[in-house]
Amino acid sequence: MVEAAFVAWVGAALVVLADGRRGLALGLVLLTAGLAVLAWPAGMAFGAIAIAAGGLVAAGQCLRSGPASWGIMPAGSTPRLIICIASGLLALWVAASVTSGTGAPLRFAVLLVVGLMGARILISHEPGAVLAAIASLALALGVAPGLAATSPGPVAAIVGALIAAGVMFVPAGLARLASIPLADKDGA
Amino acid sequence: MEPELLLAAAAALGLAVVFTPLRVPRASLLTWGLLGLAGMAAIVIAPSLDLVILILLVLAVLQARLTSNREFVTRLRAPVLAIALLALGLAFERMQGPVVLDRFGAVGIVAGLVAAIGLLPYVHEFDPDESVVASPIPWMAFIGPPLAATVLSQANQVIPSDAGDAFGAMLIGLGLLNMIGGSLGSWRTQNDASAWRYSFMADWGLAMCGFGLAIADGRSAALLMLFSIVLGRLPLYLWSRQALREKVPTDRPLNLVVAAVLAGSAPFAGFPARVLLLRGATQLYWPLALVLAAGMLLWLPSSLRLGRSMGVPRGRQAVGVAIVLALNVLLGVYPQPLLTLAGL
Repeated sequence: MVEAAFVAWVGAALVVLADGRRGLALGLVLLTAGLAVLAWPAGMAFGAIAIAAGGLVAAGQCLRSGPASWGIMPAGSTPRLIICIASGLLALWVAASVTSGTGAPLRFAVLLVVGLMGARILISHEPGAVLAAIASLALALGVAPGLAATSPGPVAAIVGALIAAGVMFVPAGLARLASIPLADKDGA
Repeated sequence: MEPELLLAAAAALGLAVVFTPLRVPRASLLTWGLLGLAGMAAIVIAPSLDLVILILLVLAVLQARLTSNREFVTRLRAPVLAIALLALGLAFERMQGPVVLDRFGAVGIVAGLVAAIGLLPYVHEFDPDESVVASPIPWMAFIGPPLAATVLSQANQVIPSDAGDAFGAMLIGLGLLNMIGGSLGSWRTQNDASAWRYSFMADWGLAMCGFGLAIADGRSAALLMLFSIVLGRLPLYLWSRQALREKVPTDRPLNLVVAAVLAGSAPFAGFPARVLLLRGATQLYWPLALVLAAGMLLWLPSSLRLGRSMGVPRGRQAVGVAIVLALNVLLGVYPQPLLTLAGL
């Protein structure tokens, strides 16, 4: 399980550090693998399958849009690297030292991915990267019910996976384009 | 409380669609309004806070897709911050650990809720010329009320009693901040559309104080305040948009009546809400009632300003304004049936 949490960390870090579609897709694949493995023993076997499917669809779609490059750690990405390392250490401290009980790897992964993806969306200007971060956030929110003491059931994981897969089909270029004419002279 | 607020939002949408000026494209207003309503219904019936957060994410992405001068990424920031804070707060509540962790969780949930609605200190970026549907106003006045009622109701099930006091104190503290900041902003800001936006914040401040009191009077006050936002301030704002653009302040008797509705004076819906809030605050801690009463005076100048900015409603809008005034009088004079319906 510790290995899966580490893979999730690497995947989340790639989503934060990459600007190209290959880097983002690889990050999504690693993140999906880590979260799916962590969700399985948390009473979410069916949910883990859904997370894996949703994450892979998202990664596949991510690979088809955006700049055709890896774009990992472009110039000026030092603050992002610091965020990745610092948030990893902070999540590790909270999950392993401050809190108690079983499931520390899942606690670590949920805290880390939610925090990192929130930061990624706040600091990013590229629609493709933001969509990949939203997909990652949805996957993490899907496995987060596994932190509960009782078995959460697969509903949240399925919904999270559907959102992760669906959000990647929002055209990234839409950010700059007018999609639906709603503005009018009366402003409603 | 949540189903009643959902019905109020549906009624507000109906009013907006039917009585909006003919030039406004009703089809798109209805389509996006119904989509928001469907999202709110899903939030209200969601069995867990996790699902509420996921539905919120869907709504945020859908709204960010709409045409606007603001960028897609910019418009996503505040809702995503809200979602991350709510998720972290919920995660902290679920972990076994020291009590301080539960308090951090409570702080995360309240901060996330405030960020989702767009209140101080997490104010959404606002463009006065933006269409209402794509602006932050639906988060405050359409989706916000059922969302807040649902999140607070679900949060009470996951927050342990040890952290309950911190939860209530956070709500009251942020409520006071919004009450004072919103009413001062609404009074002092130069742009009239921004003044309306701040006035929503001020009303939300009272509603949050009501939720934070965690007694029956407080919850009743919060429900009435949210009703007055959804069925009073929101439709009036929609119908004031044309006058705001023309920038012709009007001083007719109708504008004074609208100002009275917005200020929460008798016999409109905001009045019993304020009385219940003061009564609840007096029961709990009387200096709080004193602060609230002083803060309520700040509504007067801003409401007069907003009332003047309404212009002279004509045709369909005049009928709409009359219906809104009648609904607010009904809620102000007979609030008990609504409170009974909500189990308060």
